[in-house]
Amino acid sequence: METPYTDHLSLEDFEHVYEPAEDSFLLLDALEKDLEYLDQLQPRLCVELGSGSGVIITALAKKLAGFSLCLATDINPKACNATRRTATRNGARLDSIRCSLADALRSQSVDVLLFNPPYVVTSDAELQTQQFDTHSESSTDRNLVFSWAGGQDGRRVTDILLKQLDDILSPRGVLYLLLLRENKPEEIIQYLEGLKFRAVKFMERRIPGEHLYILKVTRSSASS
Amino acid sequence: MKLSTYNFLTSMAIKGVKVGFPLKLTINKKEVVESEFNPTFVERMLPKLDWSAVYGAAQVAELTDDIPAVQPENIGENELLMQKLHHLLFEIDVLEGQLECPETGRVFPITDGIPNMLLNEDEV
Repeated sequence: METPYTDHLSLEDFEHVYEPAEDSFLLLDALEKDLEYLDQLQPRLCVELGSGSGVIITALAKKLAGFSLCLATDINPKACNATRRTATRNGARLDSIRCSLADALRSQSVDVLLFNPPYVVTSDAELQTQQFDTHSESSTDRNLVFSWAGGQDGRRVTDILLKQLDDILSPRGVLYLLLLRENKPEEIIQYLEGLKFRAVKFMERRIPGEHLYILKVTRSSASS
Repeated sequence: MKLSTYNFLTSMAIKGVKVGFPLKLTINKKEVVESEFNPTFVERMLPKLDWSAVYGAAQVAELTDDIPAVQPENIGENELLMQKLHHLLFEIDVLEGQLECPETGRVFPITDGIPNMLLNEDEV
């Protein structure tokens, strides 16, 4: 899988949109490692939540070109726009939708779900004083906070997604979720088992200051 | 926004909305983006699509001569129809327009090809 070009994005873009970093590349590497599985799964709908610059879903869309419909969501209009431009720059076919998580998508339709959540541990109070400005068409600098600040345990947004997961994933659907050790992956795995999902640590990587994981989540009823 | 994407969008997240599908589509500006026709993919995609929304999109895109109101049987054997579905679903990109919740009338604008489905906190 090729790493998409990002030379069309400027420093000004990255003032408003999360710039691809080690975490993004780990998610790309996980998809690359699991290509055989994805080939067999024959996903018809692939969705990345909080796509930011759009490099991850663009790489997947290129790989699955002509075999899968790829969509990206983000609450930040500048991220939606950056994702669309990244797809165009790289000749990938995908659509960008501005919404929160998978809120705008029909139930149980997603075959491959990707999420690199805001995972940094911050205080909830800090996050709550930073309401995302949904009324404004232009995002402000402080909106970039929402691309990384995760509240308590860095799990505020991830926990919302996990609660909705049964309603999002198709019967054969799979989620690739990026986590930090501080997000307590074991606790998440147990929680998901209680919801009749099977979750495994699919990949991990230590970088200075961070221990990152990719959790692969499928329904326990789905055949592996 | 491609019309295949349109088929997956709902306003169900609005408080009190039961189905929120299909959304009422208005197209003000569209372009045709050519893409390679892959009949196998179109056929595999069909079970995931709602035909009434496919037909609804065809009406708005003024392609109803091409698409029947009721999904025909053995559609995979009809190469011409598959080509027309490919064109409708994967080649028409809505750049400007809007989507409207069928139950509440809430309007979601489509700008620069991106539908804005983000709800305010008091709507969810």
